Amino acid sequence: MSAYEYDAVVIGGGVSGIMASLTLASGGFKTALISRGDPVCCLSTGCIDVFSHSDEPLGGIRALLPDHPYSLVGEKGIVDALCFFLEIMDEAGLPYEGDPGRNRKILTPIGSTKNTCLVPQTMAHADMSPGEYLHVISFQGIKDFFPSYITSRHRNSTYSVYDAGVPTTLGIAARFDDASFLDAFITWLRGLEIPHDRVALPAVLGTIDPASVMEKISQAIGRKIFEIPTLPPSIPGLRLFRAMKRVMQKRGIHLYWGKDVTSVERQGRTVEAVTLATTGRAKRVQGRVFVLATGSFVSGGLFAGRESVRESVFDLPVTVPGERKDWFNTDFFSGGHGIERAGVRVDRAFRPVESMIDNLFACGSILAECEIMSLQCGHGLAIATGVAAAKSCAQELS
Amino acid sequence: MTTFEHCVRCTLCVENCPVFKVNPAFPGPKQAGPDAQRFRLDGERSVDDWVKLCCQCQRCQVACPYGVNVSEIILKAQLKYSHEHMSPFTAHLFANTYHLGKLASLVAPVTNAVTSSGAARKVMGVLGLATNLPMPEYRFLTLNRGRRRKGKRRSSRKVVFFHGCYLGFNRPDIGRGIRDLLAGLGCRVVIPKQTCCGLPALGNGDLEIAKKFARKNARVLVDYIDRGYQVVYACTSCGLTLAHDYPEVLELPEGRKIAENTYNVHEVILDLLENDAADVEFGEVNRNIAYHIPCHLKALGIGYPAAGVLEKIPGLKTTVLDDNCCGLAGSYGFKKKNQQTAEKLGVAAASAIKALEPDALISDCGACRMQLGHYTGLPALDPSEIIIASLEKGASKKSKGKRRIP
Repeated sequence: MSAYEYDAVVIGGGVSGIMASLTLASGGFKTALISRGDPVCCLSTGCIDVFSHSDEPLGGIRALLPDHPYSLVGEKGIVDALCFFLEIMDEAGLPYEGDPGRNRKILTPIGSTKNTCLVPQTMAHADMSPGEYLHVISFQGIKDFFPSYITSRHRNSTYSVYDAGVPTTLGIAARFDDASFLDAFITWLRGLEIPHDRVALPAVLGTIDPASVMEKISQAIGRKIFEIPTLPPSIPGLRLFRAMKRVMQKRGIHLYWGKDVTSVERQGRTVEAVTLATTGRAKRVQGRVFVLATGSFVSGGLFAGRESVRESVFDLPVTVPGERKDWFNTDFFSGGHGIERAGVRVDRAFRPVESMIDNLFACGSILAECEIMSLQCGHGLAIATGVAAAKSCAQELS
Repeated sequence: MTTFEHCVRCTLCVENCPVFKVNPAFPGPKQAGPDAQRFRLDGERSVDDWVKLCCQCQRCQVACPYGVNVSEIILKAQLKYSHEHMSPFTAHLFANTYHLGKLASLVAPVTNAVTSSGAARKVMGVLGLATNLPMPEYRFLTLNRGRRRKGKRRSSRKVVFFHGCYLGFNRPDIGRGIRDLLAGLGCRVVIPKQTCCGLPALGNGDLEIAKKFARKNARVLVDYIDRGYQVVYACTSCGLTLAHDYPEVLELPEGRKIAENTYNVHEVILDLLENDAADVEFGEVNRNIAYHIPCHLKALGIGYPAAGVLEKIPGLKTTVLDDNCCGLAGSYGFKKKNQQTAEKLGVAAASAIKALEPDALISDCGACRMQLGHYTGLPALDPSEIIIASLEKGASKKSKGKRRIP
């Protein structure tokens, strides 16, 4: 066996690719993960939306058409995958909370609430009861976080501003990693003598161990505390990605980070290797099975030309709903744009249909019919299909 | 090739910038790179002095999902700025680390005594050097002075070892270890006369000196490549300079050829172990080790080949850490103006290592080892040192086994 020969090669380092590789590595398979740059999950709220379009996630999923990727996974598969995710996050030291069968609310920076399913511990107390009093803490000069948006929407709320000496979310979060900064902040906060039930801050409570930072503040002032996700750069998204990566490294998954797959070697109906563009030259990575988790348009898994949509790595057939004029609604915010349904169609084993390749499986937002924007199911769909596709791979391998 | 125009301002580069994280004076890679690039005109004098706060770890470029050459844009802006302005004394000093090393190693005992003395450190402080880290020690018996060829004359694998300044002047023992390791695995190894890769000159804004160094090395390396040799490096920053900067930044005519034939030493070792079936046995090494991935290894995009070799060692527990820049970034952290940034990043990277309670740390980069050895108080080793220890143990076990056969 050559040095760069793996049982499974996963292409795409987002939530779906990571969950697929973790599932495979847990099954004892030698796994590699290739990613072009960091995944868009670093820009997300860090929360796991399973089906936020409706209040009850599993009920919403049951009502989907049979060709939606969720329907291919099935309810038990979805719940099992989410539980596996919760285990992974416990192991990573960034525990998540939530019930796959029930949605909860988080607070947004404009003061509205949003449905989500699994949340990091620092957002667990965001689901407030009506009539509770809220105090918002903001930071001097912080971009795109205006506490008065929140207080104008919540009757019993006020805010204060702390000067962290730096205006960026990453800069403030890095300061919260430092115990002396945290102590000074706590001293200031105690001085405010906040009478409110809960205290909310933008999501900047450290880059490493936010749960203990929150716990320390919470204990010092005797109030429940929670984070509000911010616009990118998003610290909870970054924490989610790095925590998952830590577990990948612990499981001995080989990471090839930052470069494109430039070509594919096929022998009949089997993909034998992909070529990776490393600095200065190409590198061949061999595998027995391949998982495609390159995402949709934003991540570059799909590419839209004038008339057609292409899949970037294997040039797989892509389902596109109608002609270009049918891709978009005239009202941008109405949701349900046809282009959201574009993607790679797969069978029940997550093999791309009509691909003429037997050892390739696909998962995540590259899948056809997933409509992750209007159904608000990005990370949930990534986890469920990532695990499901990896299970099919495992069957193929054994 | 993607350029600044392909940036969609997603801020993934910003999330990965170590300097931006701790130094509010640096506006981050998105602004310093693609954003500001829209306003940089060839004929106009640079005004963005903060561009020099970038430490060129290249994490932004690795993180970019659109393949924008963020750090290269910043590097070129740094070079332009330096070309148009007077450079400080420290920049001239560090651009010439090679000449400095040549001189310092010639009188090594004197150099080491002087640089560690209190009075000299005060002088260094006045000259703009950071004094929180001890200066690296120099060795008289540099790699240029030892045995320069090893391995069977007719071996099918021939490699030319580009060791760079740090292994050459400061840690020739590690360099000799790697030479012997490769020879022991059946390679013919040559250590040619070489100069600095040119990176310190680039990092200190001196394109001309960098080109001078690079041209000298290119002549030597291409000659070997034409005779069927592969170039191997152990220092990942030298490696990145050969593979990326020679063709892309210094635009050497031979740059592409060198890049295509340059390999990380552990890629070669893995290949020798698995494809050439080198007849060796790894002995048990019962250690718990934190592997700090140098930023420039990450930037090479070749994965972490040393981790692949270390996996084969029985008893060894290696944890890979690739989220932190050590903060020293070559000569960056040795400058007084960057001392605070380097220190904050060093402490953060060290605490991530210490959280694993390892008995040692390893890293492919000499600067990372200096910095993190200092902030963790742990032994800081090159991956090859662990591999050699394991092979020596395995070899003694093997020879004992043989003796038992009557």
